[in-house]
Amino acid sequence: MNVDAVTKRAGPREFSPADDLPREYREAATRMIEFHANSEIMGAYLERPFIRQAPSIDRKLAFSAKVQDEIGHGQLLYRAAESLGVKTREEMLDDLANGDGKFLNCFHYPLKSWVDVPMISFFVDGAAMRRQATLRRTSWEPYAHAMDKVCFEEGFHVKHGEDILKELMTGSRKERQMTQEAFEEWWPRIIQFFGPTDDKSTHHDFAASVGLKQQSNDQLRDAFLDQYIPKARKHGLEIPDEPRIRERDDGTYAVEEGDLDWDEFFTIAKNDYEPGLGQINGRKHAQDAVQWVRDTIENDATTAGGHAPQAAD
Amino acid sequence: MIWEVFRQEKTGGYHAHCGNVHAPDREMAKQFAAIQHGRRKPTNSLWVVPREEIGEIDSEDVAFGGATDRSYRWATAYNTTGEDAREVVESEDEQATAERQRGDD
Repeated sequence: MNVDAVTKRAGPREFSPADDLPREYREAATRMIEFHANSEIMGAYLERPFIRQAPSIDRKLAFSAKVQDEIGHGQLLYRAAESLGVKTREEMLDDLANGDGKFLNCFHYPLKSWVDVPMISFFVDGAAMRRQATLRRTSWEPYAHAMDKVCFEEGFHVKHGEDILKELMTGSRKERQMTQEAFEEWWPRIIQFFGPTDDKSTHHDFAASVGLKQQSNDQLRDAFLDQYIPKARKHGLEIPDEPRIRERDDGTYAVEEGDLDWDEFFTIAKNDYEPGLGQINGRKHAQDAVQWVRDTIENDATTAGGHAPQAAD
Repeated sequence: MIWEVFRQEKTGGYHAHCGNVHAPDREMAKQFAAIQHGRRKPTNSLWVVPREEIGEIDSEDVAFGGATDRSYRWATAYNTTGEDAREVVESEDEQATAERQRGDD
């Protein structure tokens, strides 16, 4: 098939590994899914320290289950990306480790304290879920199937995230204040989750024409604002003055794009943002620290079944 | 030789197990599968897999989902305020269905 034929046939779950697809399609889909997979992994690493810092046993259980889910989503997505035949899972993971792999802007910023947690696990996850729900209709079938499972699990993440927000916003005055401050810091980044406006988006047109992407950045961002501005207000959060947000006559919202820091966004997109490098290196450090686990699994399969005493005994 | 057959009803759907066929090789297995399993029910694609290539683990071997209370893993365990985004509602409904099917509640 050439690109014209793909464009003509493009529809939800239309193409599978059995189809002969042009290089352009395979590369665009790989870029998109690899980015998504990397983001799942980097998001999990960002949240991981808060399993230890969770304020109660209930939170600890739920949060560790959530982080475990996200790593699983990464694994599913690397499989969906690998099935395009452009890059192997190994190559994608290596690229992520050496700083070449790209991932979501929000996961380049450090999570500093527990009040930051709902900014990711309610707002960013809510934004992600909005986008992922539309991707169940992507044209690459393995990607759509991965989205089925991801969306199934993600409802728990978003609701648990909202539960954390609710607890903080009904807590002490200090907690409410700290949460509001975290919200003000994260709000512009959360809006930038959806990327640049349609006219500045580099890859949108092709991805949309071959059915990989189902909605434009602007449509997704506006739909997110319509849903989550009322939610934020309901929990007593004040929407910051900047970026300016316009309420349309029909009660829907649109953001003033010029108020957002796009220089920072594109620096992040190139993996040149300093705190983001800290995230990448932090993951590398964690990987090295647990190398012995992978070694044990790969090399010790025989000794595991035997009765000879092991180091851990 | 026995080949397990998986049928996909339409483009983009999942291949679900639908039965098996006797066949001496893969080519014949595909033909038998097409005749036995692809004629009446809607079929877009069939997979045939040698039975001995399939690994199985069942509820005799392992307690799926573990034996401890994991209610914290379900969206249904959390009450939220106001109207939830429709994709969140959809996910919660799917989870509620899965919970019922597992007999957790």
